[in-house]
Amino acid sequence: MTIKHVLILNGPGLADPSDFDGNSYGDLYLRDIEKECLQVSQQLGLSTDFRQTEDEETLFRWIADDSKGADGLIINPVGSSRAASLNFEQCCSTIRSIAHLKIPVIEVHLENIFLPDSKIEKPIQIPEIEIGLISGLGLQGYGLAIQSLASKLKT
Amino acid sequence: MKVQVINGPNLNLLGTREPEIYGYDTLADITARCQKLGDETGMEVSFLQSNYEGQIVTWIQEAIHKIDAIIINAGAYTHTSIAIHDALRAYTGFTVELHISNPHLREPFRHISYVSSAADAIVAGLGVQGYEHTITMLAKLRNCSTKLPSSAA
Repeated sequence: MTIKHVLILNGPGLADPSDFDGNSYGDLYLRDIEKECLQVSQQLGLSTDFRQTEDEETLFRWIADDSKGADGLIINPVGSSRAASLNFEQCCSTIRSIAHLKIPVIEVHLENIFLPDSKIEKPIQIPEIEIGLISGLGLQGYGLAIQSLASKLKT
Repeated sequence: MKVQVINGPNLNLLGTREPEIYGYDTLADITARCQKLGDETGMEVSFLQSNYEGQIVTWIQEAIHKIDAIIINAGAYTHTSIAIHDALRAYTGFTVELHISNPHLREPFRHISYVSSAADAIVAGLGVQGYEHTITMLAKLRNCSTKLPSSAA
């Protein structure tokens, strides 16, 4: 059996931990998230490609070009509510453009984006693609996403 | 750690109702798998289901100071029930809102959730396995020293 490959893409706002509001994630650095992803995927026999960019165009290019070689995609489009400058419509249309690949996609947010003070207004809404949503579990949201992809890719 | 899984209206029909959306597993199948997982991870997992809004409110109230985490799939009450929202706000433990499908990809009337803003976290669109994955994650949270949603500690 070939090893399944998961692409994990993170958008603006995750590079600098001071971006995180309050104290909840103050000590959560990008490398901690990457370490967690690597550890969980190794346990489950998946290979991962973990990336983060502060540039939205780079994020869109990764989605469009690099999903082709992946069996599943985990995306945190906006890392923190202070970096909510991402072009949401363009992000959705880029993800729509990979619908034909039929790979499972899971959207992850560290914080609960539905709290009244969240600056991230809504999750990705593309009816054509099955997209999972995990929001508010911090670091563990990534582990949960990887676990879900692992069981989806097994069947 | 005590985890209560509360299921709302029509979830008793799982396995027969629109299986292309909700899958072929029944609620009894999911319950059995989650309780087995609870046994393996040393957690007490209980499963409840009701079609009645008031019953769900009562269960949430009864969980206050007794249950460490609630996983709630409020079904269609998600989009209508301020009473469930208020009960969850009064609840002291960690709350995960769960949906088998992702409501945000479905009809616009499912895009509003009164549960989300009263919950700590949302897990949606992972299929029926979302229940098991969420329980596994809660077990891990419990053992985890990483600073995380603090009410779960």
